[in-house]
Amino acid sequence: MKINTASQAISLGTNLEDKSGDFYRALAQRYPQSKELFLSLAQENSKNVTKVKRAYYGVISDALEGCFSFSGLNTDDYSIETDLPEGTGYSDALRMAVVIEEKIIKFYLDGAEKSKALMADVPRAFLLVAKKRRERIPKLESLLEEG
Amino acid sequence: MAILGEPIKEVLKLKNYINGEWVESKGELYDVMNPATGKVLAKAPLSTKEEVNAAVEAAKEAFPDWRRTTPLARSRCLFRLKELLEENFEELSRVQTVEHGKTIDESRGETRRGVEMCEVSSGIPSLMMGYNLEDIATGIDEYVIYQPLGVFCCIAPFNFPFMVPMWFWPFAVATGNTFVVKPSPRDPISQVKIAELCDEAGFPPGVINVVLGGAEAAITLVDHPDMKGVTFVGTTKIGKDIYTRAAAGGKRAIIQTSASNFLLVMPDCNVEATIPALMTSFFGNTGQRCLSGQQLVIVGGDKFYNEFVDAVVNTAANMKVGYGMDERTQMGPMQRADAKRKVLQVIENGIKEGAKLRLDGRKLNVMGDYPHACFLNPSIFEDVTPDMSLVTEEIFGPVMNIMRAKDLNEAIEVANGNRFGNANSIFTSNGKNAREFQYRIETGNVGINIGIAAPMAFFPFGGMKDSFFGVLHGQGRDAIRFFTESKVAIQRWP
Repeated sequence: MKINTASQAISLGTNLEDKSGDFYRALAQRYPQSKELFLSLAQENSKNVTKVKRAYYGVISDALEGCFSFSGLNTDDYSIETDLPEGTGYSDALRMAVVIEEKIIKFYLDGAEKSKALMADVPRAFLLVAKKRRERIPKLESLLEEG
Repeated sequence: MAILGEPIKEVLKLKNYINGEWVESKGELYDVMNPATGKVLAKAPLSTKEEVNAAVEAAKEAFPDWRRTTPLARSRCLFRLKELLEENFEELSRVQTVEHGKTIDESRGETRRGVEMCEVSSGIPSLMMGYNLEDIATGIDEYVIYQPLGVFCCIAPFNFPFMVPMWFWPFAVATGNTFVVKPSPRDPISQVKIAELCDEAGFPPGVINVVLGGAEAAITLVDHPDMKGVTFVGTTKIGKDIYTRAAAGGKRAIIQTSASNFLLVMPDCNVEATIPALMTSFFGNTGQRCLSGQQLVIVGGDKFYNEFVDAVVNTAANMKVGYGMDERTQMGPMQRADAKRKVLQVIENGIKEGAKLRLDGRKLNVMGDYPHACFLNPSIFEDVTPDMSLVTEEIFGPVMNIMRAKDLNEAIEVANGNRFGNANSIFTSNGKNAREFQYRIETGNVGINIGIAAPMAFFPFGGMKDSFFGVLHGQGRDAIRFFTESKVAIQRWP
């Protein structure tokens, strides 16, 4: 589905954060050796939602191009697989996490690029979240190497 | 990402808010409709003259105590209201969407603007300070004090049911006046919701009052002998009448009226950023705002013109029209069916006058299964000339009139030839063009690479020619001056 409006983009971001948060909570339960990291990532997801929503609700204005700011994004490009089948090994789960992170980072970067001339502080919040999430990948990869 | 939840679950029965009480009206009840779904949202009264008078009386009685309340204490009420508005931000926004029809992004934008009025007026201890000079003669000092006047009112339009009254009343009550709001009868629920929050915020009874009604209620407010000043947003025809009545009664007035705005596009503009700004300007709020673009004047040769117009038409043709609660929607319905009928007539007239209908918004393409009574798609005319009724009259709907000009000078002259002067914009990457436009254009609000030149709460909302009647404007320092009298004192202590 094509994204046109800011509201759609914010909802998609929230949905990605929620789904990936649930995924990390499931990982924490299943793989206690890295429980602390997974729970901290899930917690950080909630903060990301707050950050993005605060930016959106803070600057949304009838004068800005809210209904046209994200034209060209497509939800299908950012769908993430978070179902953890029974018997998934620790390494495979970590690889899934890396793929999820890359997809969500891409969403935030694409969203920031699309809206940079139109939506004031929203693209900046998107970039901040993308940066935060990018820091996760080396952490996940180091767990992979250790595992 | 779907259709958001409805904020109103059952039909409301709206009451007046007078002297801190919810008072049932004896007036005739009518239905407030959701223009997208056709569902009845509320039963609202056309308040009687006596009820309107009671609201003014309550405001008058509340005034002496409220003016003696310190500015700091008054601002604390506004701080509390701001917090409550933030807490209820999403619900308030959804109410606007269901009663007006605008998209959820537009409603949230409107709520934010309203909250900003509250924030700015909370700074009243600084904003209301006077000034002084010692020793105007030896041992004699002189100073100016700003004092509130009494009761003010707002006669509000339908197009921004939440925001427009807040251009005025937070500044009025912050400066120590009391206030009566009369929302548009078409979409009064937002103001009722605000009154509920004002009650919770702790404004004393009578400081803020809301009376529901139509023309009779409006005239009763304007003509009331205890009314010190009137604020109005609406059409030029009605605005002139209210201005005349207010002047006859020696009252202050801010009268913001109709528009027929021009957006100039220079060939050196950033096309990628300009097109979304144009879509927002012409079709945002379904064209129902006094800052909406009405004429797109394109300067430049045939190649630029053709490519640019193709891009504009293509973008407009692909706009998602639907219910504002559907997050995909980029343009909602007109606020009511007779407004749609008026726009249909405008389109007919445009065709008869010889303009070329390049995009026909009468051919409906609406997402979802909703009655079509209020929906229109965007329309675009080409070959429009300044004398056509498309240009000389306010359309207030999703119609874009494209004109051509050989250079900036001609484009400015065409815009300045129009009787209205509300908000005109230029799109260019050339600073000299931008400055020339800003310098010469006869309009109250100027946009440079901005489609909707809407002033923030700390700046006045401009307007010239047949788009504004009065001296001081709403918002910002103008509002502080409007709602206060300056008293000059000279003192000597021999």
